[in-house]
Amino acid sequence: MIVGEQKPLEEIKAKVDGYSKILILGCGTCVKTCFAGGEDEVAMLALALRLSLKMEGKSIRVEEQTVERQCEDEFIKEAAANIADVKAVVSLACGAGVQMVASRFPQVSLLPGVNTTFIGILEKAGLFTEKCLGCGNCVVDLFGGICPISRCAKKLFHGPCGGSSKGKCEVNADTDCAWQLIVDHAAATGQLDKLAEYVPPKDWRSSQAGGPRKVHREDHEI
Amino acid sequence: MLMENVRRMSGKGGLVRTRKPRITVFHCFTALENTASLEGSDYEIQGIKMPCSSISREGFLLRAFEAGADAVVVLVCPVNSCRYVQGNIRTEKRVSRVKKILDEIGIGGRRLNMYNIVQGDEAAARRIIEQTVAELGEWGLSAAA
Repeated sequence: MIVGEQKPLEEIKAKVDGYSKILILGCGTCVKTCFAGGEDEVAMLALALRLSLKMEGKSIRVEEQTVERQCEDEFIKEAAANIADVKAVVSLACGAGVQMVASRFPQVSLLPGVNTTFIGILEKAGLFTEKCLGCGNCVVDLFGGICPISRCAKKLFHGPCGGSSKGKCEVNADTDCAWQLIVDHAAATGQLDKLAEYVPPKDWRSSQAGGPRKVHREDHEI
Repeated sequence: MLMENVRRMSGKGGLVRTRKPRITVFHCFTALENTASLEGSDYEIQGIKMPCSSISREGFLLRAFEAGADAVVVLVCPVNSCRYVQGNIRTEKRVSRVKKILDEIGIGGRRLNMYNIVQGDEAAARRIIEQTVAELGEWGLSAAA
């Protein structure tokens, strides 16, 4: 899933300053799962904004809505009526959802309320960890299902660097060394010889280095 | 007198407006069947009865302040006594988070507190309310209420 974190209340307050009525638009998929922008977070932010402004002697009318996904037109059109009624929308979607809503409803100011952080997993209750950079050419099969692109701070394809210590990364001692995990996995499954095979350098043209990417599925075009 | 302590300025021409402090009590019905025994003449009690305290989500706690509470009390079962195993632990974490938000907003996290009480200990619950009323006498009414 895409993992994000809600922006600090003060930052969102500064963004909505001057508006008498806003809509907080949540997204019910990825950011809901990581507690950044689902229905509960929309309600919490609306309450916090109203109460905070009331404490300052100000008032704001805050409407709330959460759609299934802000990155799909089919879902965001459900918010059209509410969006037509405000001059600003605080979107609690990831960066993709925010831009989708901004392009669909250019007449309103789109204010992002979430910092999109990474593609990751729910490792355990309350802990989300990064697992993918979206590089466009997945090769985790070569590394025992462990991605050295997203999980090694140096994105090394050819074994651990000299900074790996006791299985931890020198960049962050709380982070497992991806290459230690790769070697441990290979040893445990009797595949150490696979690590001796030549892996060509990463071709970054499939990643963001080649500019914004598109996936075109003609079979789904109507 | 309590009522004198909880006066606040209306902000209009220096008029002084008083009212009874309002306390919202979220309680799991295992910890406390109802809030009837907590009533008092110097304050108002709004009881929110739940099958487990963990149902008191963050939004509900904040909404209580928006609805006019000067203080919110959450009564939960003792640690390791929750019939749903971890309900009271989840509640504690939620209360902790909302206290930080209340501090950030300016209402003050001290106005929200969670207490573990033994099942049916109405005397303990009453002492908690009396303590809360006394604290409200020092803090005054919530400006957000």
